[in-house]
Amino acid sequence: MKAPSFRSGSGRLAGVVLLAAYAGFCWLMWGISMQYTGLDPDAAFLRIKQDYTGMLHYRIAFFIHAFASLLALPAGFTQFSASFRRRWPQAHRRLGYVYIAGILLLAGPTGFVLAVYANGGWSSQLAFVLLAAGWWYFTWQALRAARRRQWRLHRDWMYRSFALTLSAITLRAWKYGLVALFHPPPMDVYRLVAWLGWTVNLLAAEAILLYRYYPNRIPQFLLHAPLSPRPGRRSTLRVQPAPDAVPDER
Amino acid sequence: MFVAQEFDENKPYTYQNKITLCIDSLSADEVFGHTVVAGNARPFRGAYTRSGSGYQLTGAEPGDDRYDGVFRFWTAEDGKLTGTWKANDNSLAVVERSYELEKRVFSYNPNLALPSSVGWDMLYDAANELAGEGEFLTEAVTQFNPSAQELRSADIENMYRGDLEVMRNSIYARHGYSFKNRKMRYVFDQVDWYMPVSADIRMNLTALEKRNIDLIKRYEEHAEQYYDSFGR
Repeated sequence: MKAPSFRSGSGRLAGVVLLAAYAGFCWLMWGISMQYTGLDPDAAFLRIKQDYTGMLHYRIAFFIHAFASLLALPAGFTQFSASFRRRWPQAHRRLGYVYIAGILLLAGPTGFVLAVYANGGWSSQLAFVLLAAGWWYFTWQALRAARRRQWRLHRDWMYRSFALTLSAITLRAWKYGLVALFHPPPMDVYRLVAWLGWTVNLLAAEAILLYRYYPNRIPQFLLHAPLSPRPGRRSTLRVQPAPDAVPDER
Repeated sequence: MFVAQEFDENKPYTYQNKITLCIDSLSADEVFGHTVVAGNARPFRGAYTRSGSGYQLTGAEPGDDRYDGVFRFWTAEDGKLTGTWKANDNSLAVVERSYELEKRVFSYNPNLALPSSVGWDMLYDAANELAGEGEFLTEAVTQFNPSAQELRSADIENMYRGDLEVMRNSIYARHGYSFKNRKMRYVFDQVDWYMPVSADIRMNLTALEKRNIDLIKRYEEHAEQYYDSFGR
């Protein structure tokens, strides 16, 4: 989430819009998970997983994943906000542990099991295996950095981890968009979004990090694009204006 | 074919349907038979007289169904049968139909394949509001014969919902099922080997067909619910 770095008027609005969109998608994800509260091995998506639902370990992994993955979503509202961290550091830490434990102990390993049995053959299986492994590894590195109090490193790994968390939403959004535009056959679109869903997110995270470290290496035309962060607005320190710079109206 | 002669264009009518007319028994002066058309199997009963080298017959349907009426037909020596049907209810969309039928024996053959032309059909009543266009079948629909071979998930997981539906219904068509549902009727009425002989063929399905129906149905329902929605 880029919301905290939007400090101008239009930037603040963009941040609010992004958070509202995120809230909407979280609501959709909640609805998707709630299809499985009956633990019915023949519900929704599992209707076309009948080749695997006979296996106990697949069923266990699926239902844990369907619910534990929801633990990773609240982090998007709070953890990337500088003011939230400053005001409620303890809450940041607690929510962080929920996110990390949810992924490292539950959603990550079960995601790996599901990836091995993914629909669509080796291509989508590889995509989902890499996604699960990367998700676990980035989150693990973020935890290590935080425990060593290496905050900048912690932030970097969390950007990557959350980029993969967001794939739950972006994968489905890609699918929705591709189907609406091109009506591809169902498994073709599935193979495609298995990759698009997380690689684009990870590239975006890396681009943001690059910008954080080398703001002057970003081509100028990108900086003037709407919604792109502007140089000079990155500082989390609020610089008080000099007295003579205060407008008369105030 | 059971072709409309007199009809109300303002009502949703079907111009022609495949019909099977069967003479079940004859007594000294009475004829008993039944017809199967558009998912409707109805008995008729009437009289017959010798006429030239063939016979002239009339048969009235019982009259307790909205779509009942009276058949009048002639048979020729070559087995051809021509005639008309008049509805009892004059407010129906089609009140008179005609037909010219060949003599034909029905037998179930699991190896009958759909002709490749089905792959270009457009499904009736399947307009896609989002894209503003109808739903066409693709050549994938003729790729497998679910009456003759065991399907695996990998065979059908990439197929469109419409193709899956027609492929599944081809099983019923081979058994001579007469489709009430226009969408399927319009597809199978164009297939030469298709002969509607029964309004319920569930008893005749083979174990293989039942397994394939269950599998195809899963993918159909999944496509129906999730193909164009936010989800998997």
